[in-house]
Amino acid sequence: MRLLTRAAAAAAALAPAFAHAAATAPSLPWWGWPILLFVTTFLMGIVAVVGGIGGGVLFVPIVGGFFPFHLDFVRSAGLLLALCGSLASGPGLLRSGLANLRLAMPLALTGSVGGIAGALIGLALPTRVVQVALGTTVLLIALLMWWTRHSRQESAHEADRWAIALGLYGRYHDPAVGHDVHWKVHRTGWGLVTFFGIGMVGGLFGLGAGWANVPTLTLLMGIPLKLALGTSGLAISIINTSAAWVYMNNGALLPILHVPSILGVMLGARVGVRMLKRISSATAHRIVIAALVVAGLRALTQGLGF
Amino acid sequence: MAKHTVHDGDLLELEQAIYARWLSFGVHVGFSALVVSFLVYLTRLLPPGVRPEDLPGYWGLPVAQYVKATGAPTGWSWLRRLGEGDLLNFVGFAILASTTLLCYLRMLPVFLGTRQRVLATICIAEIVVLVAAASGMVFPHP
Repeated sequence: MRLLTRAAAAAAALAPAFAHAAATAPSLPWWGWPILLFVTTFLMGIVAVVGGIGGGVLFVPIVGGFFPFHLDFVRSAGLLLALCGSLASGPGLLRSGLANLRLAMPLALTGSVGGIAGALIGLALPTRVVQVALGTTVLLIALLMWWTRHSRQESAHEADRWAIALGLYGRYHDPAVGHDVHWKVHRTGWGLVTFFGIGMVGGLFGLGAGWANVPTLTLLMGIPLKLALGTSGLAISIINTSAAWVYMNNGALLPILHVPSILGVMLGARVGVRMLKRISSATAHRIVIAALVVAGLRALTQGLGF
Repeated sequence: MAKHTVHDGDLLELEQAIYARWLSFGVHVGFSALVVSFLVYLTRLLPPGVRPEDLPGYWGLPVAQYVKATGAPTGWSWLRRLGEGDLLNFVGFAILASTTLLCYLRMLPVFLGTRQRVLATICIAEIVVLVAAASGMVFPHP
């Protein structure tokens, strides 16, 4: 247990360290970058799963801050790796009932529109402005995660009118407790608006959206955590698609950056899943927050020209 | 709320199963294309548009400057240049990014057939948004 905790902590520390080594390497041959990228994103994949977040939120600030690729390409890669991860997990989540298509669809619609808007704004803004905004956003995400670490979820007692009209209620089977869990949604209107904002931030910075989707679904809309985790993944696969197309249509696709990153994060995530069972969520939470603070400060100082 | 019955549960299960099947198909095809095309790129079975050893001179540029400097494709123009090893990778990404759209197109007749008008409307709206984003026509690129 201790060994695994230390391994996860080491992975969290090593991801920025590898990236920093890459940034300071004076004459790395071209093929060295995808290898370093693969190792870094592999470690990131472990940390992301153990910490219960998507890889995109760690990927963009760390790779954008420590690797030589322009932030336009890094944001595009961040969106695509979050997209690939969510697409890969989608079928299993849907079949198990831990993701709900009817719940994801309306939220993903407003998120998709926000994602396109964010991507267009991100590509139009000067790089330094994006870096400062990214650093600030990542630090705020770390703060949000710190504040909500002990938050108690309030389940929705009664579905609101919007939820009834959209059919946002139902039940799913939770194998951990061995029975069906009934769920309803409240504050649906606020949820739709929030998902527009989450989509916009995701499209703007290429961050993926799990860090915001899950608290919105649980704390704001009153959805049980397990259903929120699964549905968030499904929603990301829809929301990120629209923003990813904007980046791809603008030419922001570098296979030498995108493919090793996607493979690294996905393989790391598989290893992370095995470690997940043995590491306490509190430890994982602290690891992720520490990694976000380091990456956020790096993006902020880069944008401010320090 | 009273309308929520066992029948609804069965219908939801069926919808989710259809969506999952199409999603799974798209993911498998997309990832396979991605890995194969990347191997083709690395082994130079097809000549790349931009040689990997030249990339460090370009990858730090903003995307607009990168496109100008390398002649990299925007929009769907990569389809005419699939003989270039680096651009072949676009196929896998395009498949993965089109998978959700395909799933929605498959779900639309399901929602219409079961007279779920609200879901059908949301489905159509999402298809419009995704097509607009993918086409690049509504949101112009350089």
